[in-house]
Amino acid sequence: MRKPVLLVMIGVAGLLLVRNLLVMAQLPDEVMQGAIFRIIFFHVPAAWTAFLGFFAALVASILYLVRGNLKFDAFAVAVTEVGLAFGAANLISGMIWGREIWGIWWTWDPRLTSMLVCWLLYSGYLMLRRAVEEPTQRARVSAVFSIFAFADVPIVWFSIKWWRTQHPQPVVWGGGSMDPSYWNMLFLNWIPFLLLGLVFVAIRMRQESAKREIDAIRRMAHAI
Amino acid sequence: MDSRNITFMFYGLAAVWAVLAIYVGMLAARERNLKRELEGLRHMVEERK
Amino acid sequence: MRYARQILTVAFKDLRSELRTKEAVNASVSFSLVILILFSFAFDPSAESTREFSGGLLWIVFAFAGALILNRSFARELQNDCLDALLASPVPASALFLGKSVANLLLLLAVELVGLPVFLVFYNARIVGSFWTLFGVMALATWGLTVVGTMFSALTVNLRLRELMLPMLVYPLMIPCLMAAIQLTTVLLGEPSLDAGQMVWLRFLVGFDVIFTALAVALVDTVLVG
Repeated sequence: MRKPVLLVMIGVAGLLLVRNLLVMAQLPDEVMQGAIFRIIFFHVPAAWTAFLGFFAALVASILYLVRGNLKFDAFAVAVTEVGLAFGAANLISGMIWGREIWGIWWTWDPRLTSMLVCWLLYSGYLMLRRAVEEPTQRARVSAVFSIFAFADVPIVWFSIKWWRTQHPQPVVWGGGSMDPSYWNMLFLNWIPFLLLGLVFVAIRMRQESAKREIDAIRRMAHAI
Repeated sequence: MDSRNITFMFYGLAAVWAVLAIYVGMLAARERNLKRELEGLRHMVEERK
Repeated sequence: MRYARQILTVAFKDLRSELRTKEAVNASVSFSLVILILFSFAFDPSAESTREFSGGLLWIVFAFAGALILNRSFARELQNDCLDALLASPVPASALFLGKSVANLLLLLAVELVGLPVFLVFYNARIVGSFWTLFGVMALATWGLTVVGTMFSALTVNLRLRELMLPMLVYPLMIPCLMAAIQLTTVLLGEPSLDAGQMVWLRFLVGFDVIFTALAVALVDTVLVG
């Protein structure tokens, strides 16, 4: 994507975030949690962005295997990496919230555990890419891994859910019902996250094509 | 600790943006390295020609 | 029919070459013994509480021992370009993969059958449920481990850091399978039979096996042949 388009996207994201922060400051504190509940407006959209990224990686991986175009591979790395960044933001903000509300940094609750396993799987994806030199082989191997990883995530989620029901369950989100204004806030905050994510993906994809150019020039230099 | 948990709210929000800032830093560093490598290679090819 | 024979031929070939050298099995058995001994220092092995995580202990040992066997599975074929010869043969890649998975399953089961009695003796445990149910659980879970592991053995065979990459990639994928196995094994080591709640785990294990076998068979062609 062109530079001005990216800059406009960053600008829109920034404006929306400022607006959301102002609205958020006016929301009354949650009864049980106090002011800290506002973390949810960043925590949850970050998770959505991460999972959307991993899903996009799955689609791109399948498309790469079908079509064999390295563009899809570049897209798959870009979305996976951005997904990991947002996943890390989700995990760390969640841990800070947990420290304050549950009194512990970490609990082996299904959501936390599956997110962590998911994060580990996809960081394995990036490590796998580093270990393969040849571009088409790298693309093929990592596409297959991405499909396996995505198939594993829901299985992990269900298994951990059943596993923990055998034990006393830790408290998650108190009740479970949310005020509609909270939902609005979540979606409104998701938009800047998505815009930022798209900008990152675009930059990352350009870097992949720069890498391919470097490889091409190397080969040419070899030939002369 | 204050009763409204304001401090921890700021820690949480700061953490989200810190993680994203670190990622942007990583992207920028990679961009710089790639640019340098590309320049160097182009230079080398020019000289050989 | 022909497909089944091809699978068995590959499996027998792998088993025969492994039994001649015994390098992977020997390493795997002694490694699992070492881990079993190491675990005894981590906590009191004679304590009653050990029973509660006996399944977990056993399966972590098996998963570690399995990585040694799985690492060798495709790497063995690299010498003298055996892998290329196998792929050039009229055997389809999926039959090659399934044959290797069957061989790995039998080898890993053999290692487990050595490890299990040692564990029972060292940790003063005994199988309260029926041995055959436990064996069935072991076979199902081991198939889950080997089918994922053999797939990734094929995936990482040409990689620089093969020995490091395989466990790194495979263990997180195996988590659901290991969880089901741990759950069922712990129950069978302490109670006479599985109740309805645990049957869900058994079905889950079968589901895991089916999903990943299908996925691996569908994708192994692109991995090996490209």
